[in-house]
Amino acid sequence: MLELRGVRHRYEGRVVLDLEQFTIPRTGATAVVGHNGAGKSTLLRLLALLETPTQGQVLFDGTVVPRRSPAALRRRVTLVEQRPILFRGTVRENLEYGLRVRDVGRTAANGILADVVERLGLQALLSRRRHELSDGEIQRVAVARALALRTDVLLLDEPASSADRAAAGALYRALAAERAARPFAVCIASHQLEDAYRWADDIRALAEGRLSPVTPENLFRVELPAGDGVKTVRVGTIALVLMTDRTGPAVVAVSPTDIFVSREPLPSSARNVLKGRVTGMAIEHRGAGVHVRADMGGVELVAAVTAEAARDLALTPGGAVVFSFKASAVQVF
Amino acid sequence: MDFLAEGFRRAWGLLVAGDSEVYGIALLTLKVAVVATAISCAVGLPLGYFLATRRFWGRRAALTVVNTALAFPTVVVGLLLYGLLSRRGPLGGLGWLYTWQAIVVGDVLLALPIAAALSAAAVQGVDPRIRRTAATLGAGSWRTAWTVVREARFALAAVITAAFGQVVAEIGAAMMVGGNIRGSTRTLTTAVALYTAQGDFGLALALGLVLLILALVVNIALQVLQGRGHA
Repeated sequence: MLELRGVRHRYEGRVVLDLEQFTIPRTGATAVVGHNGAGKSTLLRLLALLETPTQGQVLFDGTVVPRRSPAALRRRVTLVEQRPILFRGTVRENLEYGLRVRDVGRTAANGILADVVERLGLQALLSRRRHELSDGEIQRVAVARALALRTDVLLLDEPASSADRAAAGALYRALAAERAARPFAVCIASHQLEDAYRWADDIRALAEGRLSPVTPENLFRVELPAGDGVKTVRVGTIALVLMTDRTGPAVVAVSPTDIFVSREPLPSSARNVLKGRVTGMAIEHRGAGVHVRADMGGVELVAAVTAEAARDLALTPGGAVVFSFKASAVQVF
Repeated sequence: MDFLAEGFRRAWGLLVAGDSEVYGIALLTLKVAVVATAISCAVGLPLGYFLATRRFWGRRAALTVVNTALAFPTVVVGLLLYGLLSRRGPLGGLGWLYTWQAIVVGDVLLALPIAAALSAAAVQGVDPRIRRTAATLGAGSWRTAWTVVREARFALAAVITAAFGQVVAEIGAAMMVGGNIRGSTRTLTTAVALYTAQGDFGLALALGLVLLILALVVNIALQVLQGRGHA
């Protein structure tokens, strides 16, 4: 549906985004993950047709978008920025803004607003003004303001960064309900892998403005057995010990930074001790860290260590390695 | 001090008595100021918005020109306008020299840079996310501009006040192209200068007080309008 082709985007002469191709499908959720400054927000602004790439093209439904994108085209996509801003006026007036732009009738607008207000729990905020809201509330109102427009493409830049756990849950539930109600494309930029793991059908990693071939690591779909507490699940040929009260299908993840790397198994409290062989090593952000990729009998895991630790352990591709992590380090989504 | 007190007594007497000359001059001044402020703001505010929001070749130079024009001496504007409007000048055919319209043109030339430069600064002071948010919610360029104007309303009201202040207090151009003709082009500032020179201090003071009251009333009106807004 939305595509960037051969895009090189510069700010003050510096290339901040360099993408051969980036496509958002007509339906489904795409997550873009990466560190702060990786180019996620710039990418979303280009996809939202708010900026024109210095070089390259933006295509909407296969047609090249002109340099000054027409409002009719922009109305099919909307972006919620990482630090959204509300206009002068009440929350209700903010929620109505995009609907008024689209000349939606009063009755229809009221129906749409009632729907998003209920989904995001905004009833108590409707008559408040921006200076009476917390950052998390502003973010929730901004998401509601965007959801109300029912655009073909919804772009969310760190949508839950200022929200507490409950508010973030409400936000993602509202998003899931909207996705269940109608087909549309959603693209979420996040530096929190948890968000990506939980909601996205497709995850892309961005590093230094480029798509990284390294996708978010150590993510597995599993079937959780019944019962509470410590459980063992199969991931291919390996067994993962984890702690959860949930049952049924789930996604589990182990953060690469939660994994201890050694040459031999070490006595410790870690319930997961996996032996394997190093398949690759990649120097990470600014050379301070190394991503160690290892094959654990058909299942690939990645651990992050400092460059110094990698040197001390004398890790080399093909060499033996042991990954250890606690049951509580396995996140369940 | 007696001399000052006598001046104030005379001024008060003229104002209370509803002196036709004083009120005639005040009304003409108000008419000229309102028309000139309206024209300069109608052109200057959109120009300021354009300069603040659009990226085009020569934008920086245009902003420099507008900012330089802020310091344009009023007598120089009067002199240039005199040359244009005099019978032998390119605009002599209009027959505007020594009319209130000529004063309006001079005032517009002086207030326009104020309206453009200060409104550009006011718009640049609005959080850039406002424009982006309006655009991503589907607003076209006019509605986006209106949304930005609503955000910058306090600063823009100050721009209108500054433009009015420039126009109502202006004397150089008014004197040169208006001619200070009694009952026709005599404004408060030119009249104050004339009556002071003639030694009629009381009348000059009365007109000076009217000028102050006029400025005060307009400022209060704008402040009331600003005060109605909420964040």
